[in-house]
Amino acid sequence: MSDKDHICVDMGSEYCPCYLAEMKECIMCNHLQGKELCDCNWQGICIYQEFYWNGQKRKDIRKTVEGKIIEKKVIQENYVLFKVKVDVDLALKLKHPGSYIFIRHIEKPYFFDTPMSIMDVDEKNGEIQFVVQILGPKTKDILSCENKIFIRAPYWNGVIGLKKLKETKEKKVLLIGKGVGLAPAILAIKYLLKNKNHITFVIDPGKIGVDFINEYIKDFKIEPIEISLRNQKGVDILISLLKENYDLIYSLGSDKLHKIVKAEIEDTSKFVCTNNSSMCCGEGICGACTCKTKSGQLVRMCKMQVKAEEILEEGK
Amino acid sequence: MAKVVIIGGGWAGVAAAVTAKKSGADVMILERMDILLGLGNVGGIMRNNGRYTAAEENSLLGAKELFEVTDQASRHVNIEFPGHKHANLYDVCKVEPMVRKLLQEMCIDLQFKSRVVDVEVEDQRIVSIVLQDGTKIKADVFIETTGSTGPMGNCLKYGNGCSMCILRCPSFGPRVSITSKAGIKDDIGKRKDGTYGAFSGSCKLNKDSLSEEIVKKLNETGVVLLPVPKEEINMKKLDMKVCQQYALKEFAENIVLLDTGHAKLMAPFYPLDKLRKFKGLENARYEDPYAGGVGNSIRYLSIAPRDNKMQVNGLKNLFCAGEKSGLFVGHTEAIVTGSLAGHNSVRFIKGIPLLELPINTCIGDLISYEREQRKTEEGLRTRYTFAGADYFKRMKDLDLYTTDTGKIKKRIEKMNLLNIYEEKII
Ligand SMILES: Cc1cc2nc3c(=O)[nH]c(=O)nc-3n(C[C@H](O)[C@H](O)[C@H](O)COP(=O)(O)OP(=O)(O)OC[C@H]3O[C@@H](n4cnc5c(N)ncnc54)[C@H](O)[C@@H]3O)c2cc1C
Ligand SMILES: Cc1cc2nc3c(=O)[nH]c(=O)nc-3n(C[C@H](O)[C@H](O)[C@H](O)COP(=O)(O)OP(=O)(O)OC[C@H]3O[C@@H](n4cnc5c(N)ncnc54)[C@H](O)[C@@H]3O)c2cc1C
Ligand code: FES
Repeated sequence: MSDKDHICVDMGSEYCPCYLAEMKECIMCNHLQGKELCDCNWQGICIYQEFYWNGQKRKDIRKTVEGKIIEKKVIQENYVLFKVKVDVDLALKLKHPGSYIFIRHIEKPYFFDTPMSIMDVDEKNGEIQFVVQILGPKTKDILSCENKIFIRAPYWNGVIGLKKLKETKEKKVLLIGKGVGLAPAILAIKYLLKNKNHITFVIDPGKIGVDFINEYIKDFKIEPIEISLRNQKGVDILISLLKENYDLIYSLGSDKLHKIVKAEIEDTSKFVCTNNSSMCCGEGICGACTCKTKSGQLVRMCKMQVKAEEILEEGK
Repeated sequence: MAKVVIIGGGWAGVAAAVTAKKSGADVMILERMDILLGLGNVGGIMRNNGRYTAAEENSLLGAKELFEVTDQASRHVNIEFPGHKHANLYDVCKVEPMVRKLLQEMCIDLQFKSRVVDVEVEDQRIVSIVLQDGTKIKADVFIETTGSTGPMGNCLKYGNGCSMCILRCPSFGPRVSITSKAGIKDDIGKRKDGTYGAFSGSCKLNKDSLSEEIVKKLNETGVVLLPVPKEEINMKKLDMKVCQQYALKEFAENIVLLDTGHAKLMAPFYPLDKLRKFKGLENARYEDPYAGGVGNSIRYLSIAPRDNKMQVNGLKNLFCAGEKSGLFVGHTEAIVTGSLAGHNSVRFIKGIPLLELPINTCIGDLISYEREQRKTEEGLRTRYTFAGADYFKRMKDLDLYTTDTGKIKKRIEKMNLLNIYEEKII
């Protein structure tokens, strides 16, 4: 069967069943893998039934739309914050922690699509915000986007351990964010506060600085703890915090940050982190995001939920 | 204390719980739904043909409780319908609460909405089973009585789609084959043409939707036959049914209704527009499966390989019963196999030899005959029930069939098995 802890993040959404079902490669459904008998990791719907009633076809795929840039703010050299107007409907689907989109300069072909986390959403006005770090070929001309930008969305697999994050209620939570990884913290904090969690937020500003994020968290009544992991003092503070009894520890940043954090946690089932896989199609097809789990299974990280500890140990 | 955990609270699971408890174990039933009895909530026919003998045998072996309940819950006793004699029809609306009360009084731990999704096996032994919410449950021995029906994808692939039956997969989650989770390869029953599974053979009509005349006759006699117009008679439909005991000419030529609280319609499904052409059925509607006009549940997709003591081959501490344990049809078949599995599970814990019922009991013969037959392709296309078809014929040929309780008692006594299920083992 599909491994119990491996769940397709798109399952049951309006985009399920997808191309994978048509190719008999569905992540969840035995029948849509070409096998003989039911043996799914039940999530409340029967994908085979959806597929059948959709005329043995996948559902419509996500479209690339033109977003109107309302605001473009250079935070630091090579860090730009965008506020973009999209459909209210789309904005609503990007509200949950882990939501991300693919962005692209409107003069560039599809293979410039770059995954970006949603930082904040104003669903009433259909506005989304994200922060782009300018790095290489795909992001360099994002800076030159003026009025419009291509957006392909919604995607949801930006957090490894999403279920754990969503289940956490009235608990003690530690968030550790670094650099541009701080951006997805906002949706997560909103969600965790709604579930009455107590949040401790550790920030390593990196090159991007804290000002942009402080703008957002000032309303949350959270006292962020600012550290730098580049000096020993910062590392010591983090380690002593990790020894405290948190029910959920969410690392937002590079895989390097995830490894530092995870190494200090005894019970790794409490650990969740941002999904830093290299992504291209986001649909489980191209294979750019493929990762090997501890047990040697290959998983498409753009779609599949796995346990954080299964992935990080092996890396890519 | 010795702990027996039963997965699935259908007739087989319930029967296993009763005998395991009587033998002295601590017993827990895990049921995925909010009610017991599984398919037992939609059947009702008892004691027809050879089932009478089997019910008496099981009672004399020392497990009469459940037959007492079904007798008590019967709306009609000792009736006849085509091909079937001395049947009782229990009221499907009354029987489940009665069984639940009995089990509660016996201090059997009933856990509802507890779907088992996985097992942990070490050294061919089930160490624990895992529930949907991640809870792990340990026990000395496990009994799998999850049946063989559905879930939705199977009913779609091998049938006409989910017909919304009593098992309510969308609400409670699908059946899981514990044996297959433990790495054992299940057998798959087939139809005459070789396709997998088989349609359940009857539906329930809401009695309030039938004409007064039909309701009156049903209440009084238990049976109503309505002739099918010549051009509509379809003999082929008989082949796709589970219930080969009802695959008789009369059932193609007539609509047979039986009073089990609802009106049991002896057809796997029947298009509503055609059904409503019959006099008295103009306003008919289905009660189970809700979409009985288009399809029914698909069964026999996960049969465990086992021995005649109901122990699953390849695992040290797993027993099975009911439809899980063979191509059996029926409440009675589920109860008698369940009773043996429950009893043997406690013998297993105690470390004493397991009981194999001799083939000069009809229960023992059915269990061993099915196991032999299932090894062949033809055998996989057959169903085994005391109530009719091939096996009832065999019962008669072997002189196993009788309704003379005195005669059955003598047999059981001669084998030194009277009230064996009553013995406290631990
Ligand atoms: C779910 C998700 C959310 C993200 N959110 C943000 C965000 O909010 N802000 C932000 O600035 N960046 C984010 N990223 C990373 C961003 O997508 C990459 O930095 C970007 O694609 C780099 O492309 P490039 O061609 O400019 O740089 P490259 O020269 O290709 O790469 C520079 C670095 O980025 C990494 N990278 C390259 N391609 C990808 C890719 N397709 N996916 C992920 N990493 C890649 C490389 O490992 C390398 O370390 C996110 C990535 C993912 C998967
Ligand atoms: C429409 C219909 C009419 C019938 N009419 C008659 C009749 O009149 N007379 C007769 O003798 N027989 C009749 N039968 C056949 C008879 O009902 C069955 O053969 C018998 O009841 C099977 O019992 P069982 O306990 O083996 O399986 P089931 O009744 O299928 O019970 C299995 C139980 O296990 C539970 N379960 C499954 N998976 C899990 C899991 N993973 N975790 C926890 N619980 C689980 C299920 O919810 C269910 O309650 C009828 C069948 C149908 C479908
Ligand atoms: S990004 Fe293409 S398969 Fe995951």
